[in-house]
Amino acid sequence: MFKFRSFRLLTKTSFFYLLFILVTFFISGRYLINKADEYINEETERFFRFREQHIIRFLEKEKDPSRLKYIDIALLDSTGIYPNYPRYTDTLIYIEELDEQQIHRKKSVIIEANEKAYLIQLLININDFTKLKSDVAGRIVPAFIILALVIVLFTTFLSGFLFQPFYRILSHINRYKVGKRMNIPKVKTSSKEFQKLQFLFRNMVNRIEDDYRNLKEYTENMAHEIQTPLTIIRNKTERLIADEELMKKNVDTVKIIYEETNHLSKLGNALNLLTKIENGEYNNTEVINTKDLILKHVDAIDELLQLKLMTIETDLTDDHQIILDPFLFDILLKNLIRNAIRYGSNHGPIKITTNQNQLIVSNYGDTLSVSPEKIFERFYSSNSTKQSLGLGLSLAKRICDLNQLNIDYDYKDGQHLFFISDKK
Amino acid sequence: MKLLIVEDNFQLADDLSRFLIEQGFIVEISATLESARGKVELYDYELIILDIGLPDGSGLDIIKLLKKRKSDTGILIVTAKNAIEDKVKGLELGADDYITKPFHKAELNARIRSIIRRKKFNGSNTILVNKIEIDLNSMAVKVDNKELDLTRKEYDLLLYFIYNKNRVLTKESIAEHLWGDHIDQADNFDFIYNHIKNLRRKLQQAGADNHIRSVYGMGYKFYEL
Repeated sequence: MFKFRSFRLLTKTSFFYLLFILVTFFISGRYLINKADEYINEETERFFRFREQHIIRFLEKEKDPSRLKYIDIALLDSTGIYPNYPRYTDTLIYIEELDEQQIHRKKSVIIEANEKAYLIQLLININDFTKLKSDVAGRIVPAFIILALVIVLFTTFLSGFLFQPFYRILSHINRYKVGKRMNIPKVKTSSKEFQKLQFLFRNMVNRIEDDYRNLKEYTENMAHEIQTPLTIIRNKTERLIADEELMKKNVDTVKIIYEETNHLSKLGNALNLLTKIENGEYNNTEVINTKDLILKHVDAIDELLQLKLMTIETDLTDDHQIILDPFLFDILLKNLIRNAIRYGSNHGPIKITTNQNQLIVSNYGDTLSVSPEKIFERFYSSNSTKQSLGLGLSLAKRICDLNQLNIDYDYKDGQHLFFISDKK
Repeated sequence: MKLLIVEDNFQLADDLSRFLIEQGFIVEISATLESARGKVELYDYELIILDIGLPDGSGLDIIKLLKKRKSDTGILIVTAKNAIEDKVKGLELGADDYITKPFHKAELNARIRSIIRRKKFNGSNTILVNKIEIDLNSMAVKVDNKELDLTRKEYDLLLYFIYNKNRVLTKESIAEHLWGDHIDQADNFDFIYNHIKNLRRKLQQAGADNHIRSVYGMGYKFYEL
């Protein structure tokens, strides 16, 4: 799996913009330098030609090359083709008056006059030209840096000004919760894209709210309406149970009808509860000090456990807190303890432990016959006792998932352990 | 004693009314909020069994009406399970108790009797069944004037039996009555037997007859002799 770092859109665009400008500067810099070279070459060449013409004309008239002062000239043995000429070299020559070395271009060229070939070497000071060239190159870097700075500043300004409505819309989207019928304030913006984003978001919210309401009504009606027929079935069954003649013959049938009706009714309630939890209807979240609540709970079931020849031990700290709706905490605790009672053996006590960060519920028991990941799935039950709904742990997991809590399972030293901790 | 059942499901209302008539109450039924309102305006009832979810409105309106008229009618609200808001609102408005669907009739009976008893502070508050005498105010049980040493659960169990004497009480119903919501923690109800055994022993040791018998392994029955 690759993990990409994420950047703001504007940061990205300005980065690419800078990259583009860097390339542009580079290309145009090269172009300018080439142009400067071309210009220098052309200018010096023009000058050399002029001098050559001048010398040729002089030689044709005067015939004596020694009269040419300041010019390095040599008579060659024969005319013909000298493939190595003309030859150009750049050299540094010390100028006494200025006390500095200046670049000169030297052209060694063969000229012909009066059917004789001479090698002449011409010199031109091109110091100013090369200065110009290095000036061009030297300007480009600071220009680029200044431009980059301007772009960065401009980007910051843009994200503050142009993108502000966008971030405000984002924060509204972030704050939106399904089924809350929130009044989402409208963000004023003149940017078409943001207007569209906002329009789509508001439309989507309305649609979600409608769907949510329908679904909620459906589940509520379902949960409510199913209980009435179940109550009737149960009442009628109880009436049958009171009929001794009938019971003598049909005790098994009636018993099963009665038990299954109860099971169905519990299932309906549990699923309804799960739906309500998933809809986030229990959101009176507060910081709960768990110690007293756990003790109260343990107290209430202590007698029940004694009847099952089991024991429960607690090791609770005053500091342990959990951020949760109290009703959900009750359900969470109940389901974990129920699980411990159901699958616990009497080899050792059920233990509830809290420390600064964790709530641990553990019970002794045999190893799981299946993979540990499956235990949080719905309708998953490792022993198929009829009374088990197979919803307890998945209910606990949903509560944790929806409230930034972790629930973990481990098996150690013959004990099943469930850990509840804050998501960090 | 006159009761009003406000319940839109005919089967359920019929079933309940038959059961309550057997228990010696006079029972009337309203299937809608409108008819219930009419009945409450005209007659006085000892107690109203009120379903909150009615086809033409919320049963909570009836509680408001009764409270406005300063009526001392007992109110037992019936809600779907998990509908905590209804429950809380109902009790805030002044309902005496609540019961969640699906409920056991024996449980309903016990709740009704307990509300009615609570409303009547004056006069004796004792129940006498054969040799067993229960003082509801002091929660004391006597057999032949000898006070029994019962635990809270055993007392609740005995009272539940006596409110529902001569009827079969299923193990589920007894367990739910004694443990309330915590009964979810148990995966079977056989442990009820231990409570029954202890109660039976204590009653018999004090000289009472054996009133409680098992019925087909499904439940128990308290026989008035």
